[in-house]
Amino acid sequence: MAEVTRPIFEGMEPAGKAVFYAVAAVSTVIFGWGAWRRARKYRMGRAAGRGPAVRAALSRRLRAIGTGTSVSRGNRATGLAHFFILWGFLVAFLATVILTFDTDVVRWISRLITGHEDSFFHGTFFIVFTFVVDTMGFAFLVALVGMAVRRGVRRPLRLRYDRAGAPAGGYSRRRLVQGDWLFLGLLLAILVTAYLLTGLRILGQGMPWFSVFSPFGRTVAEALSGLGMTPAQAVTAHGVVWWAHASLALAFVAYVPYSKAMHMLVDVVNLLATDRSAILGLPGPPPGAGHPGYREIPDFTWKELLDLDACTKCGRCHEVCPARTGGAPLSPRDLVLDLRQWVDKSAGGRTLLDRERRPERTGPLAAGGGVRIAGDVIDADALWSCTTCMHCAEVCPVGIEHVPTIVQLRRSLVDEGTMGPTLQQALQNLAAQGNSFGRSARTRARWVRDLGFPVPDARQQAVKYLWFVGDYASFDERLQDNSRALAGILRAAGVDFGLLYEAERNAGNDVRRVGEEGLFEMLAEQNIKALRQARYEEIFTTDPHTLNALRNEYPALGASYQVRHYTELLAQLLESGAIVVRPLGYRVTYHDPCYLARYNNVVDAPRRILKALGCELVEMPRHGVDSFCCGAGGGRIWMDDSLLRERPSQNRIAEALRLDVTQFVVACPKDVTMFSDAVKTARTDGRVDDRLAVRDITMLVQEAMLGPGRAPAAGMSADDLSVQERNNVGAGPEMKP
Amino acid sequence: MRIVVPIKAVPDLVEEIDLAADETGIDREYLTFVISEWDAQALEEALLLKDAGGAEVVAVGLADDPDIDQLLYTALAKGADAAVKLTGAGAAGPSGPSGTRTADRAALLAAYLDAQPADLVITGVQAADDLDGQLPSRLAALLDLPHVSVVIGVEVGGGSATVRQEFAGGRSHELQVQMPAVIGVQSARQAPRYAPITRIRQAMNAGGLSELAVPARAAGDGLVVRRVHRPEASGKAEMMTGSAGEVAGQIVGLLRARGLVKG
Repeated sequence: MAEVTRPIFEGMEPAGKAVFYAVAAVSTVIFGWGAWRRARKYRMGRAAGRGPAVRAALSRRLRAIGTGTSVSRGNRATGLAHFFILWGFLVAFLATVILTFDTDVVRWISRLITGHEDSFFHGTFFIVFTFVVDTMGFAFLVALVGMAVRRGVRRPLRLRYDRAGAPAGGYSRRRLVQGDWLFLGLLLAILVTAYLLTGLRILGQGMPWFSVFSPFGRTVAEALSGLGMTPAQAVTAHGVVWWAHASLALAFVAYVPYSKAMHMLVDVVNLLATDRSAILGLPGPPPGAGHPGYREIPDFTWKELLDLDACTKCGRCHEVCPARTGGAPLSPRDLVLDLRQWVDKSAGGRTLLDRERRPERTGPLAAGGGVRIAGDVIDADALWSCTTCMHCAEVCPVGIEHVPTIVQLRRSLVDEGTMGPTLQQALQNLAAQGNSFGRSARTRARWVRDLGFPVPDARQQAVKYLWFVGDYASFDERLQDNSRALAGILRAAGVDFGLLYEAERNAGNDVRRVGEEGLFEMLAEQNIKALRQARYEEIFTTDPHTLNALRNEYPALGASYQVRHYTELLAQLLESGAIVVRPLGYRVTYHDPCYLARYNNVVDAPRRILKALGCELVEMPRHGVDSFCCGAGGGRIWMDDSLLRERPSQNRIAEALRLDVTQFVVACPKDVTMFSDAVKTARTDGRVDDRLAVRDITMLVQEAMLGPGRAPAAGMSADDLSVQERNNVGAGPEMKP
Repeated sequence: MRIVVPIKAVPDLVEEIDLAADETGIDREYLTFVISEWDAQALEEALLLKDAGGAEVVAVGLADDPDIDQLLYTALAKGADAAVKLTGAGAAGPSGPSGTRTADRAALLAAYLDAQPADLVITGVQAADDLDGQLPSRLAALLDLPHVSVVIGVEVGGGSATVRQEFAGGRSHELQVQMPAVIGVQSARQAPRYAPITRIRQAMNAGGLSELAVPARAAGDGLVVRRVHRPEASGKAEMMTGSAGEVAGQIVGLLRARGLVKG
């Protein structure tokens, strides 16, 4: 009986072996050179301080990488295919390592020591090895074919490389497409030759019994035999195909660091080093650079440079981006690819088929001294289009943090004074009066006057809760009713709360994201000083943006607070019975604010409120942490929308209109403004009748306390509520969750 | 070329402005002060001249103006080469509830410009509390220099300045004026630039603000404020009711009745 194994370098002359080792050495050197160039590029970046993040979650993150959770999230078929490609590749790679170890280490050392060649590549080990490699290889092949069909036939939006904003002189991304096909094609060719090789060997060996453990290789052998190939012919053909396979494999090794194949190394590091908290609370300007925003490659951290190479152009960010969706000249993918190409060009990187071409030297092709990253390489309009909604980073399967890079580039624009007039006015208002409306800071708490009851000044007397109201809830006359309603509800529920009155300033969350770091610091210092003068146990905010600033931005300035959103407080009051309501029975949908859901993971509280109010919640397809931005964040609310084809808020209202709901419930003051405008626009366009109302969740709570349909026009007086509460006792259907 | 830009602090008009007890001015105690918007235009025009061909731009303010340090540091952050705060005997002037009188302001600035002459003095054509635009013309008279006001653009070359002066209805004409000269700017060629707070803070930390005592100088006659009046409501808004079509019809009728549209 034949020994259960297969010969290595079967029938090969020593000269052939020498050629193989020589080519292998050359391809390894080419790989090493490319990898070294990449490493050198990342070393140009400054420290990123990711040590703690990596250590804290190392095993969890390794597990996530191994199972590919970030790839399969929301894309199960793609995730499954990628899983088999990842593990098929790893198995093939490990198989090669094992064979190399057996051939070049074990046999060689044993010959030195014992005088004859020992090998572990036979018997049971061989059978298990063959079976695993053969089946995983086939799964790998099927997955690759699936990916090829997706890319070539189905062509989803995210895999099309049209730029969000096309340069005036035109551009071509055909090479990017060719590069993708080269990668796919190389892997496919390697796999196809591998199975051909296995089939030829099995046929040449005369179909030994143990070849059943290579089920797919044996199938190939049977097919070849069926086509009339003799074992002798198979042996001859094997020699030729062996060289084809070996050449392809070695070419692939050399190709890796110059192509998107490098993602298999770069993305492991990128996923281990990614740090969400660096988006929630942004990093400061580059220390010691002498300028507040990014201008040159050494301003970037190594992680930010690695981010650029990590991108596989999967286009998930491109698809979800509210700016891109609305027709703005920003796509997070374009941002990453443009920066990558420019950094590569400037730092001498080498890539194969990974470049956009343009007839003019603009954007990523900009050359020469005086090229500004913010403004020339990346268009200023693209940078100003970002709402910092963080959906890009949320869906990125490889841990790219787009938002901080955008803000660093915006800091450069602000430093140069390159901004639109409406934004400039808002910033000047914020600098002069601490609010974007440009109203006198002394009138910030004027809305309290019409309440009919006093609200304590937390600087004068101790309170349990400090209510950080925010600009919109304080100054926008359409939203002051919401604020008064909330005050009335809290008073009726016996909540002890107070305000900072005129000492409150805009918290600066979006000022920081605009890139006006100095103004953010000024506002934060003023707020921190005011909060230091106040006596309270806990803070709650109306505005999710304020919540984010107090919770995630102020700690870097030495001020940490216990801070909640008002929906969390209301949910608690409803569930504890402090607020007594009658069910409303409305069919509603709820819009998750980016800074509440995605940034701060407050997803349940508003839904608990709706449940307690007896409302039927119909979810929009994009909800929870996958919510779609209203378009106001990151300072966009202070800029004009002239670059947009469709406002994100209109896109969102269109989504809600496809559901059969009467109320569009929000939990952010800016959302009331944004979506009321969007509904008005839809109404003007004749796309909606009066059936969809945009309402802050506060107003629903108020209505449920008064009884359905009894929403007061202005602020609810506490007397109304207490009377209502008395009436409610033992009177009819009362809800106490 | 040395360009001096006198700037002035005026109350931020978003504030609720109350009259002082004697009703000859406003209660300035709790007000926020900002740069007079025409002075911001003047500074921008001066900085544009600097950007175009090189000039030394000096922003000058009165120490008596509230929040003047902040405004001068902002000018430095925008690109002014120096900032001077005028103090000393007489600098205070008769600073009543309305601040320094324009006549006294002009006298102080003239004293400074006598000691440190400029090739061009560019300032706002008017201010919220100097609506008849006395400052540039008084300054020119005191310095015995040529003067152009309501200017919307300045270019410099060969010892003279070419300025555009604005008339109603978008018309303008071009004048040539021998330097040194005093120019009252209506608006700069572009909107005043933004001064990032970081740069203002850097300017503050660098302490580039110098103080200079100027000798008192006869101010000449100026206006005396006898009484300031509260705004009086002179009419009410008319609310239109009805459907969109009806309201549109009412608006068209109104516009026709007032001769604002023909036909």
